[in-house]
Amino acid sequence: MDPAAASPAPAPAAEEPRSDASLLDALGGEVLAVMSPVSICMALVVLLISLLSPPSSGSAAGGSPPPVTAATLVYLESPTDTPAQKFVGALLDAAVFVALVAVVTFVLVALYYYRCTGFLKNYMRFSAFFVIFSMGGAIAAAVLRRLAAPLDAPTAFLLLFNGAAVGVLSVFASAVPILVRQGYMVALAVIVAAWLSRLPEWTTWIMLVALALYDLVAVLAPRGPLRMLVELASSRDDELPALVYESRPTVGPATSSSSYASAMGSVEMQTMADSGRVGGSRYDRVEQDEDASSAVVEMRDLGRGRSNIGETNRSGGSVLPVTSTDLPSNQIGSSQHAVIQIEQSEEAETAPLVSAASSNNAASDEEQRQSSSSEPMDFEMFESTRGIKLGLGDFVFYSVLVGRAAMYDLMTVYACYLGIIAGLGCTLILLSICRHALPALPISIMLGVTFYFLTRLLMEPFVVGASTNLVMF
Amino acid sequence: MTVAAGLGYALIALGPAFSLFAGVVARKPFLVLTLLSSTLFWLISLIVLSGIWRGFLPIKSGTWWAYAILIITSVALQEGTRLVFWRLYKKMEEMLDAFADRISKPRLSLTDKMLISLAGGLGHGVAHAVFFCLSLLTPAFGRATFYVERCSKMPFFLASALIALGFLVIHTFSMIIAFNAYDEKKKCDQIVVPVVHLAAAVMTLVNLAPGGCLIGTPLLLVMAALTLQYCWRVACRRLTEHQHRQLNDN
Repeated sequence: MDPAAASPAPAPAAEEPRSDASLLDALGGEVLAVMSPVSICMALVVLLISLLSPPSSGSAAGGSPPPVTAATLVYLESPTDTPAQKFVGALLDAAVFVALVAVVTFVLVALYYYRCTGFLKNYMRFSAFFVIFSMGGAIAAAVLRRLAAPLDAPTAFLLLFNGAAVGVLSVFASAVPILVRQGYMVALAVIVAAWLSRLPEWTTWIMLVALALYDLVAVLAPRGPLRMLVELASSRDDELPALVYESRPTVGPATSSSSYASAMGSVEMQTMADSGRVGGSRYDRVEQDEDASSAVVEMRDLGRGRSNIGETNRSGGSVLPVTSTDLPSNQIGSSQHAVIQIEQSEEAETAPLVSAASSNNAASDEEQRQSSSSEPMDFEMFESTRGIKLGLGDFVFYSVLVGRAAMYDLMTVYACYLGIIAGLGCTLILLSICRHALPALPISIMLGVTFYFLTRLLMEPFVVGASTNLVMF
Repeated sequence: MTVAAGLGYALIALGPAFSLFAGVVARKPFLVLTLLSSTLFWLISLIVLSGIWRGFLPIKSGTWWAYAILIITSVALQEGTRLVFWRLYKKMEEMLDAFADRISKPRLSLTDKMLISLAGGLGHGVAHAVFFCLSLLTPAFGRATFYVERCSKMPFFLASALIALGFLVIHTFSMIIAFNAYDEKKKCDQIVVPVVHLAAAVMTLVNLAPGGCLIGTPLLLVMAALTLQYCWRVACRRLTEHQHRQLNDN
C-alpha cells in the first residue's frame, strides 16, 4: 500500500520538470548552434574594424588606401567622384568580380569532375595557411600597432607560424577537437571579412548585392556551377569539397568531412539519415538504390518516439547550409556562395541500406557502393557531421556587410545584424519546406542591405534626435 | 571617459538584461530565438515610426508638444506591435501544441508560456536599450564625457543609461502582464500595460525642462519598480491558481 500510494505522488513531480524541459529545450538548438558562430564572427569583425579604423565614414586621411583587388580592377573609388560615377564604377567592379567568381567556380567544378583531389587538397591547405599567416599576420600587426603593445618580431613570427600550422591541421585533419576547428573556421572568416571590408563603400554594397544574386542563380539554375557541384558530389556519394563550419562534433577517428581537400563547391548535400533503430549516437547514411545520382533527403521524424531528443538534437529538419570558399589571394576573387540543404531522416523500413560516410578517395567510394548493397552495417566510426553546417562564404559576406555598417554607426550594425539573422532564420525555414539546395546569401543580404539603408536614412535622425533630448519611449 | 566608464554605462543599461539572459533565456534555445524575433519586431516598428515621422524632423527644441505627439504615436504603434506579436505567438502556440501532440510530448505548460512572454519582453527591452542608449555610447569610451544643456548635473550617458534601464524593466515585465491579460482576457490588465507605457514615456518629457532629468529619471525608475511589482503579483496569482487547479484535478 505504501509503495503504491507513494509511487503516484513522486511520479507527477518527477514528470513535471522532465516534461517542461522537453519541448522548449528540444526546439531550435540546431538553429542556434549556427546562429551563434555567425554572431560571434560578426561581433569580432565589428570589433576589429572599430579598433583598426575609426567608424567615421569615408575619411581617406586616416585610413589606408583600399587594396588593389579583383573587386577594384575596373574602377577605384575616390572621394572626389560624383555619385553617378561611383555608381557606374561600382557596377562595373561588381560585374567583373562576379564574373571572376563564376569562372573560378567553373574551374573548380571541372577539377572536381576530373578528380584532381590531390591538387584541390593542397590548394586548400595552401590557402588556409596563407590566409592565417599573411592576412592574419597583417591584421595582428595592425592591432598591435594600434594598441601599442610590445611584441618582438621573432616571437610574433613564431606564434603566427604555429597558429597557422594548427589552423591548417584543424581544418583538414579529423582528430582535432571540434572547438578548435570551429574556432579556426571563425578566425578564417573574420580575417577574410576584415580584409574585404577595406574595399570602398559603393563597391562593397553593390558587390554584396551582385554576389547575392549570383548565388541565387548559381544554386537554383539548372546549369549553375554550384548545382552541378552538388550533383557531382552526391553522385559520387561524396561530401562536398568545401570549407564548412560544422556545428556538431564529428565522432570517430576517420571522419571524412574534415579530410576535405577542395576549396571549391558551394553546395553541400548530405544524405544523412537516422535509421531509428539504433540509439542517437550513431549516424548512418542511407542511399536510395534507384537514384544514386541525386541526393537523398530524409526527414527526421521526431514522432518515432526517440527518447533522447536532447542529446541527439535532431529535431525537425536539420539544415546544411554550405558554401564554398576559395580563399582569396590578392589577385583572385573569392567564390563564395552558400547553399542550404535540408537533410532529413527516413523511416527505417524505407532505408534498409546503410553505408558509411564517404572519405575522399575513389577506393572507398567503391567500397561504399559495395557495402551499400550488403546488409546494413553500423559504422560507428564513420560519422559525418550531423547538425547544421554552414559554409564559410556565408560567414564572410555577412560579416562584410556588418563591417561596412560598422563604419557608419553602431545603430546600423544592430539593424543589419538583426536583418541578417532574420534572413538566416527565413532561409532555414524555407529549407525545411522545399527540400533541395537553397542559397543562404540572398535573403540575408537583401534584408541586411535594406535595413542598413532604412536605418541610415530614416531611423537614425529620428532616434538620435529623440534620445539626445532624453525623450524615450 | 575611458573604457571603464563606457563599459559601466553599458552595464547599467543592460546588466539586468544580461543576467536574465544568462540565467533564463540562454538555457533554452527556443527562448533565444523568441528574443531575437521580438527584437526584430521592435526594430521594424521603430523603422515604420521613423518613416512616418521623417518628414517632420528635426523638431525644434522649444516645442514640447511636438514631442508629446511623437510619444503618443510611438506608444500607440508599439502597443499595436505588441498585439500583433501576441497574435503570432498564439498561432505559434497552436503549432507547437500540435507538434507536441504529434511527437507525444506534453504541451506547453504555463511556465513555458510565461517564459516565452518573458523572452519576448526582454527582446523589446534589449532592442530599446540598444537603439536608444548603446548606439550613442561610443563617445563614452573616449577620454571625456558629455553633458546636455538641459541636464547639466548628470552626464548624458548616465541619464540615458538609467532611462534605458527603466524602460528595459518596463518592457520586459509589461509583456508578461500583457500576455497573461490577453490569455485570461482581463480587461483591466490589458489597459494597464499601455497606460504604464504611455505614462513612462510621457515622464521622459520632463527631461525637456531644464534640470528636469534629475526628476524624470528617478520617477521613471519608480515606474519600473511599480511595473515589476505588479508583474510579480500577476505571476504569483496565476501560478498559484494554476497549481491549485492542478492539485484539484489530481
